[in-house]
Amino acid sequence: MSNSLEKLNSVDNIVEALATAGYICNEQIATVVYLAAALGKPVLVEGPPGVGKTELAKSCAEVTGAPLVRLQCYEGLDESKAIYEWKYGKQLLYTQLLKTQLAEVMDGAQGLRESVERLHSFDDVFFSKEFLEPRPLLQAIDSEQSVVLLVDEIDKADFEFESLLLEVLSDFQVSIPELGTLKGRSKPLVFLTSNDTRDLSDALKRRCLHLHIDFPTTQLEGRIVRARVPQITQAMTDHLVEFVSRVREMDLKKLPSVSETIDWAKSLVLLHADSLDEDLVRSSLNALLKYEDDLTSVVNNLAGLLSQEQKVTDA
Amino acid sequence: MNPVERANQDAPTDRLLAFIEFLRGRDILISPADSLVAMEVAGLVGYSDRTLLKSGLGSALAKSKFEVTVFNEAFEQYFGAPKTDTTSDSSAPSQPTEQEANKLSPQELGEQLSQAIQAQPELAANLSSELVDALKSGDEAAIAIAVETAAQQVDVSAIKLLTQRGQYIRKMLDALGEQALRDAAVELESTEPAAFEAVQALREQLRNKVRDRVDRAYMVHASGDAEDMLDDALSNMSLGNVDQHHRARLKRLLERMTRKLAARHGRIRKRVKRGQLAIAPTLRKAMATDGVPFQPRWRKSIRRKPQILILCDVSGSVAAYAKFLLLFLHSLQDVLPRTRSFAFSSNLGEVTETLRALPVEVAIERVNLKYGGATDYARAFEDFARLAMSDINRVTTVIILGDARNNNTDPRLDLLAQIRSKCRQLIWLNPESQRSWGTGDSEMQGVIRNCDTAAECSTLKQLERVVDNLLVELNS
Repeated sequence: MSNSLEKLNSVDNIVEALATAGYICNEQIATVVYLAAALGKPVLVEGPPGVGKTELAKSCAEVTGAPLVRLQCYEGLDESKAIYEWKYGKQLLYTQLLKTQLAEVMDGAQGLRESVERLHSFDDVFFSKEFLEPRPLLQAIDSEQSVVLLVDEIDKADFEFESLLLEVLSDFQVSIPELGTLKGRSKPLVFLTSNDTRDLSDALKRRCLHLHIDFPTTQLEGRIVRARVPQITQAMTDHLVEFVSRVREMDLKKLPSVSETIDWAKSLVLLHADSLDEDLVRSSLNALLKYEDDLTSVVNNLAGLLSQEQKVTDA
Repeated sequence: MNPVERANQDAPTDRLLAFIEFLRGRDILISPADSLVAMEVAGLVGYSDRTLLKSGLGSALAKSKFEVTVFNEAFEQYFGAPKTDTTSDSSAPSQPTEQEANKLSPQELGEQLSQAIQAQPELAANLSSELVDALKSGDEAAIAIAVETAAQQVDVSAIKLLTQRGQYIRKMLDALGEQALRDAAVELESTEPAAFEAVQALREQLRNKVRDRVDRAYMVHASGDAEDMLDDALSNMSLGNVDQHHRARLKRLLERMTRKLAARHGRIRKRVKRGQLAIAPTLRKAMATDGVPFQPRWRKSIRRKPQILILCDVSGSVAAYAKFLLLFLHSLQDVLPRTRSFAFSSNLGEVTETLRALPVEVAIERVNLKYGGATDYARAFEDFARLAMSDINRVTTVIILGDARNNNTDPRLDLLAQIRSKCRQLIWLNPESQRSWGTGDSEMQGVIRNCDTAAECSTLKQLERVVDNLLVELNS
């Protein structure tokens, strides 16, 4: 493992380092990151949207100073977009440009057999690394320095794509039929994120360490908000986080995530609010909730949600 | 920390392996490669910090939300509940409290026993073995070693059933030489009440240790087997006969089957043969044919979207089966996103939304209330034709679950034939055994003529086979 990942050498260091990058995490997350760096295994991060799965990878890259290579998955993603592609245009162009050289090579060859033999005596120039266009996965293992590789939303990719990932993830190598096996020059720190929209294959799961990030506790969420939105006051943060955790207990289409809490906190700061009152919440709530139905049901219960909260904070 | 844990501290690896075995008994699939990772993890995080060990092992062994829950529970059970103080002295568990209850310190115990020996010298042999010394002084390590030796002598890991517990405890106590203590207790009972108390306390202590050891052996070695046996029996049992007590287990079993099926069949995609030309893949393909683009490739590949319409008879006799079929197909949302369900007995209505919005148990109850009653297939088919006939096309699979018993009225099989002519395939599932098809008021003979497949589906195994075949067919 190259130097850049050395900062991830103990659980406590990781918690601290990530905190300086603005990513507040619990011990469990740090433990898994530590193990991933130490064992050289990919981490499969699962959890509801907006709890900071992608952010974890970004922060790790920031902390270690390693470049972040990101592969966003989608339906229909295949090897030519994820691993490598031949520069077919360049190949065609070169065959045209090198016509005269080819003629020289062939000069004096008697018959087809001899011509083909002569061609064979030359290296397969058109299928060499110069004509290979590396895509994110190949880039990640072929870099001199360890990188952080983020395979985002793997559950959106097709089932077959998972199998393509296996070789890269377990052996950090890529097999290219025309070239043979390309061994990676460094081991990347790999994060795969999934929103649980479908089950991943057992083969992929087996190669990964698992990390399930859930909604944080109110305390942790308070710290996250404070780290991300430093302008907000402590009292306001407590109110806000308490309110959000109450909203999460309701039966909604989409529960507000951490990122939405942060957005809301930011918008409240912009509005120069210093306490949560009904009017303010009603007017800014669309930063937190994204469905009309959810909005109405929260607004209808607003008095209850807020008054309860007052009681708790007063006590 | 109980003696076994203490004894095993010398060999944490064995303990971890036993834990993995324990997890396997709880439906968590752990391959040898996973075990290796778990070992590496344990080596890295160490055994001293419990939470660290837990999240470390969890990341290597528990691979889904479901497994995380099981893992957390199993970890607590196996490595003991969290203790505020982790130093081994203060955490020596339940025994001290029992001794406190008896109010006998090791010294007092010793005194009582030596008094007893003075009073009845013939008991000296009975009361002065190494084991008694260990018990007297509370030397946990020595006791643990003795218990472990006895466990190996009687081969406690061969335990298979819960009812064998008593037998194994007795065997181990005999192997430990507890007989001598018992004899002494009998002798002392009438003559020396104080010493009798002391001996009884020792026996109790020993018995507890042995029982813990046997329980653990049962948990690790047998409960998995016993559960497998039960699971197997349940999946071959007629769903209508499974009693309330086993319903929860059956549901778990079903969930496991769905997960397996969903993973096996994945998503369904297919290349299209029109649209925008994808230049790169076409040229790549063309290399084999000398640059002549022989096999064009296209930009888009479509996901084939099979549609399934389920019609379930929810009248009393079939309701139990309907419940499981609906549960099954609706848990396959991943693979079959466009499933619509209809429930009927006398009249028919769509219940897709109800099933989606509510937990299945509640939803089925509600559906039963709304549509339950005497079965009338003619009416049901008419309703269905009105509701969904126009939505049936060549990708639609229609599944009907019912016993085809129509109380001797015309079941309108012509409508069934019409449905079949419009859809990709029509499957009829009947919970009755094939032998009784067509007997009495059963219209099954007519039904078989009007559908593509008719199958029996009274057990979970049969249900699994039906759904498996269905998915294979849809994938082809």
